[in-house]
Amino acid sequence: MKIAVCVKQVPDSETRINLTGPVPELDTSSFTMIINPYDQFAVEEAVKIKEALGAGEITAVTVAPQANVREMLKKDCLAVGCDKAVIVDDAALQGADALGVAKALAAVLKRDQFDLVLFGIKAIDDDSSQVGVMVAELLGMPHVGYIGNLEMGDGKLTARREIEGGVEVVDSSLPCVLTCGKGLNEPRLPSLPNIMKAGMKPVEVIDCAGLGLDASASHTTVKMYSPPPARGECTMIAADDPAAAARELAQKLRDDAKVI
Amino acid sequence: MSNIAVFIEQRAGQIKTVAWQMLTAARQLADQQGGEVWAVHLHASGCSVNEDAARYGADQVFTAEAPAFAAYDSELWTQALAGFIKEQSPDVVLMGSTAMGKDLAPRLAARLDCACVSDAVGLSWDGGLVIKRPVFSGKCFAEVTSTAPCTIVGIRPNAFAAEEKGAAGEAVTFAPALDEGTAKAKVTAEETAAAGQVSLTEAEIVVSGGRGIKGPENYAMIQALADSLGAAAGASRAIVDAGWVEYSHQVGQTGKTVAPNLYVACGISGAIQHLAGMSSSKCIVAINKDENAPIFKVADYGIAADLFEVVPVLTEAVKELRG
Repeated sequence: MKIAVCVKQVPDSETRINLTGPVPELDTSSFTMIINPYDQFAVEEAVKIKEALGAGEITAVTVAPQANVREMLKKDCLAVGCDKAVIVDDAALQGADALGVAKALAAVLKRDQFDLVLFGIKAIDDDSSQVGVMVAELLGMPHVGYIGNLEMGDGKLTARREIEGGVEVVDSSLPCVLTCGKGLNEPRLPSLPNIMKAGMKPVEVIDCAGLGLDASASHTTVKMYSPPPARGECTMIAADDPAAAARELAQKLRDDAKVI
Repeated sequence: MSNIAVFIEQRAGQIKTVAWQMLTAARQLADQQGGEVWAVHLHASGCSVNEDAARYGADQVFTAEAPAFAAYDSELWTQALAGFIKEQSPDVVLMGSTAMGKDLAPRLAARLDCACVSDAVGLSWDGGLVIKRPVFSGKCFAEVTSTAPCTIVGIRPNAFAAEEKGAAGEAVTFAPALDEGTAKAKVTAEETAAAGQVSLTEAEIVVSGGRGIKGPENYAMIQALADSLGAAAGASRAIVDAGWVEYSHQVGQTGKTVAPNLYVACGISGAIQHLAGMSSSKCIVAINKDENAPIFKVADYGIAADLFEVVPVLTEAVKELRG
């Protein structure tokens, strides 16, 4: 079984976002970059499938400037069980939108042919939840999104996915694209010896020309960023008598805020 | 002139309320540009959206009936909507950023080579369509423009208010070409949560508990307050990671982003990744022993007290007020 895991590097969830410049842009200077937390579930699931089968090969694929992501690929992918990595590195892909990135990933995935392609359900920076689904479409594969449980069968799989107010059970043939959510597994941590060994695993760097890819595939651009709207002052309700405070709160929510 | 198509989502015949919110938003956008609003609805039988869709602002209501639309199927529904978009060439397509919408929109965009933007909370014209959406779970907002002839926009539930226009729309039926042999993934079962449980991302009120509840056995107190308000019950990452509550309840940057009318945070200190997931809520209430907790910085109403002394009384008071 050949498995691809598509990963992205993002700012840590504890990061504060500051804006800078006349047309507000993200101030990236204070960012601590990590592997997208949802992608860790995808990596772990791939490794578990390979372990269960006792055979297979896992390729981690990312679109980014190579210097930025080599450490992440080594520590969070290759050291925990991926066999190799591919970096699509091309200046023309900077600022690419979801479809632009999806087309770059799909070019690699088409070239190398996989039975299973795993993603995280979303990246916690741009929150678009689009790339995995788009890749499935570009590859002509089915996809099952937001999976919280997976059972592999022979040439097929059964996944449970979360929907509003319930769960859907989906059967799919292979090859297939899955996007992985929290609860699917507990990602393992890389051991020091494995991080050392991961340095020996192959990492391919390729650009758009190498993939025969038109880099101008994006349709959207971020024009500017803005801070969230400021929130008003907090009305503190005196809590000497907590029960009275609770009753006063209920009254205020009904009469002043009109939300209950 | 810009024509806007709005996808009216149904699951098991139930229309998602975001549909009416989108029609209202579409009506405003179309009026600014002199375009039309088209509602598009796929259903298996007994469709009843025509009047409602018109009331919320649709000029035309396109409906297609087929047995395949009884349950959601990624491939077949994509075929139906792709066919509609090719035929009618709307400039903008709105669909809810729901589980279904997040499945359909990117697939359609990749199939038709359209622009795709998800979780929009604001729409305006400035040269072209400008879409405002939260990024980093709401730590900041991005304004996105599109250069494609057709832009598919996912709309976050509750970001727009639904407003009745009382207009009469024209009902049109269409028959999409479906290739049933192409579906490679099939929904085999759907398990709905217990009756009365409200889904977090669609709820108008959310009550969340954090580490302040001290143990999993006390989450029932959060659930009781949520029930009294007809609300969904949420949780901080801390208590999900501790195994006190299922992950599906988690609110925050690595959980669900919510923007209800009322968010009640009980025993939640307000870690930055939690605030990211809820600070767009219209009214925020914080109940926390520590008066210096960051949650009070985003709250509209605060009680600095032991939640065990506040929450049960609040539950009773709410029951009385709501009668």
